[in-house]
Amino acid sequence: MKRIALLLLAALLVSLYFYGNVAVAEEDEEHGGDIIYTKPLKAVIFSHKAHTEDIGLECDWCHEETFEMEALYMQENTDFTMESLCNENYCGTCHNGDISFSTTTQCARCHIGVKGYNELVRQGKIEPEEGDVIQVEGGGH
Amino acid sequence: MKLMNINLEKLIPESLDSVSPMERRSFLKMGLVITGVFAGGRIFSVVSNVNEAFASSTDFVEKYPYSPHYSMVIRQGLCIDCEQCLQACKETNSVPDYGYRTRILTKTVSDAIGRQREFIPILCNHCNDAPCTRACPTKATYKNEVNGVVMMNSKKCIGCKMCILACPYEARYYNAERRAIDKCNFCYDTRISKGEKLTACSYVCPTGARIFGDISDPENVVYSMVHQIEKQVWVLRPESGTKPNVFYMKATRSSPWDLRKQAGAR
Amino acid sequence: MIKKIKSETAERWGYMGIQSLIDSGNYFYVFAVIGVVALAGFAVGLHGTFTGYHHVYGVTRQVPWGVLISAYIFCVVTSTGLCLVSSIGHVFGYEPYMPIAKRAVFLSIVFMLGGFTIIFFDVENPFRMPIYNALSPNFTSNMWWMGTLYTLYLLALIVEYFFLLDQNHSMSRLAGLLGVIFGVAAHSNLGAVFGMLHGREFWYGPYMPIYFIVSAMMSGGAAIIFFSCLAWKIDRTVLTRRMERGIKAVCQLTILLIAIILFFTFWKIISGIVAPEKYIAIKAFISGPYAPHFWIAEVGLGLIVPFVLLIRSEGINTNLMFAATGFMMVGIFFMRYDLVLAGQIVPVFHAMHVEEYNSLLHYMPSFHEIAVVVAGLSFSAALFMLGEKVLNAHKFQKHAIVPPGAFICPGCGGIHYKKEGESEEDALRRHHRMRKVDREDEHA
Repeated sequence: MKRIALLLLAALLVSLYFYGNVAVAEEDEEHGGDIIYTKPLKAVIFSHKAHTEDIGLECDWCHEETFEMEALYMQENTDFTMESLCNENYCGTCHNGDISFSTTTQCARCHIGVKGYNELVRQGKIEPEEGDVIQVEGGGH
Repeated sequence: MKLMNINLEKLIPESLDSVSPMERRSFLKMGLVITGVFAGGRIFSVVSNVNEAFASSTDFVEKYPYSPHYSMVIRQGLCIDCEQCLQACKETNSVPDYGYRTRILTKTVSDAIGRQREFIPILCNHCNDAPCTRACPTKATYKNEVNGVVMMNSKKCIGCKMCILACPYEARYYNAERRAIDKCNFCYDTRISKGEKLTACSYVCPTGARIFGDISDPENVVYSMVHQIEKQVWVLRPESGTKPNVFYMKATRSSPWDLRKQAGAR
Repeated sequence: MIKKIKSETAERWGYMGIQSLIDSGNYFYVFAVIGVVALAGFAVGLHGTFTGYHHVYGVTRQVPWGVLISAYIFCVVTSTGLCLVSSIGHVFGYEPYMPIAKRAVFLSIVFMLGGFTIIFFDVENPFRMPIYNALSPNFTSNMWWMGTLYTLYLLALIVEYFFLLDQNHSMSRLAGLLGVIFGVAAHSNLGAVFGMLHGREFWYGPYMPIYFIVSAMMSGGAAIIFFSCLAWKIDRTVLTRRMERGIKAVCQLTILLIAIILFFTFWKIISGIVAPEKYIAIKAFISGPYAPHFWIAEVGLGLIVPFVLLIRSEGINTNLMFAATGFMMVGIFFMRYDLVLAGQIVPVFHAMHVEEYNSLLHYMPSFHEIAVVVAGLSFSAALFMLGEKVLNAHKFQKHAIVPPGAFICPGCGGIHYKKEGESEEDALRRHHRMRKVDREDEHA
């Protein structure tokens, strides 16, 4: 009897755990989660959460005029560069120092670097690209 | 007991007026010029003395111990850890996977407003007073007499690893393929001696975080970046007294951005 | 004719022949086992040489010196200590220390060889070392001086030991003096190898050279007692009354030196606590991951326990002394290990507060490193066992020709003449201006 009760409790806990996960995933889908740009350089993070939940921007403020709905669509464009951003394209539309902080400042606020990219791969949050060498930090003889 | 005869009248007061121009100049040489730590070190942070130093400019410039006196300015805020420099360094200098000549460190300040992350490139500081060259038993590592680059003569290296311990910047590692300690030599053998103007890392750096040049040349961009009092310039671990030749400063992309082009980068 | 000279030399040297070792029964088997362990260790070390140390050793670029350097330091510290403590007798003429000289100098050489064996497997290009030490010397390098001075020291020891064997005591005294000079120079310089690294706060300063010399003498005292007690366990005839007195004198000195090292350690900690740069390393040792090393091995086994036991033994109870110095040998090994690691576990960039260096660095000896240490130490142990048998337990031998009315002083090894009706003991005391002690008193 006691054993059955324990089993039931375990099953309940497990289902709760998965339910929780599903809920988070759905929430992610609502705003698209984190986008990690890897071109032209590794790597830049765009947080949907920071822009929608935290600041309260609406989806249609950026989509689809400035950014396509398809994630990472932009980084195939040849003009997806800092030069172009400084001319108020892409992120620079808002990040011009007027609406929000300029793309000429606070570099490492969006640039997470190879380290940040590797960390996300290690955490399983993004799929590694071909040819990625994910090294363990602090090694080396 | 005999007391000294002191004539108070004749004593010279210890103020700046009483220091002869000659003495003052030699002091400045000691503090600023010979050290190679210009504005950055704790010895002389950017204070009024700088102007005085500028007054004797030509004499001052000549006093850098090397010519060309190679050095690098790291503009800390510009580094985005794209690691193109690490890649270029590995390819140019055949650095194995288990080692590195230069590295990028991450600093996170979680309670900062706005940007909370900072990437800090590190490399050999090519110190004027290099602890490694003193520690090496066989002179396998030495200062290049012309340009001050800390070099390796691999065939003399016995592999005792004394220099790794002596280095306060962790710039050295043992390279099994070379059978010697390996370290950054400002690409001396692979690029600079072949007529290139820049090291591989500063050549490929897309943001101008690494500016390489000759600090003894007033025409050089590095000279102008270090010889100013508008922005703070510092060196790593000044307390070790090594008189490093890699200078650090903060910068954003809005500050003179084209410096990297001026320095000759890609 | 040649055979006769040979046998005379052998007798003077106390050379018993290899056969005496082979015939020693169980002792020989123990010797053989230790020898095989040493050879196995060498084999593992050589395997490391050919595969590349960076594949098989636990050291990294952040912690480039590991257990091999610690073991090397342990060996050379013990060697220097043996040389210094025994020199009190046979170099500087204090009689009670004289009988320990032969074994001490022999062990001094043995430990030096053990240390060199270990360092051979640590240095990446050992064969370049003698070449470029000579061709391209850097006189400002402590490392250069270390190699040079220890080589001179070893040579002086070998010459000293040769004359000790040959019973040429004025020459052995001279060589011994050179040994002491080179030993102190080499060993304090070894301290300076660490003490002159101004990029490493924990080591930097004059403390290291001073500490190295004093702790060398402590190690030397411990080693003399330990190996003499061991020799006595092997062969009971070794512990003569004069030897017993020698050990007692060494025991008293060792107690004093332990006390000195205790206060060295105490003040190192106290002064380190107030210096922010050193505090991180000190904290790792007094309450962090190295606390068991520090409190149990270094302070407990290395200092406090032997301090109490040696006082209890009164320099007479060989079992207590044997245990005490046995603990000390273990504790001192950890002392060296801690010393080597303490300067390295704090990353050089810790003050930058970067993510890469926000914690203590980690080092764990690898199998290959431990094997090399075992090889070096068991090589020394095997040589010790060899010496005990083949060199007649380092007893002072009588001269081949002793003039009538004279005798060989068991203390200094020289020839003394007896007055009429005088015993050897009394003549020795008279000759060395020692106070006459009532024999009955001494027995008690």
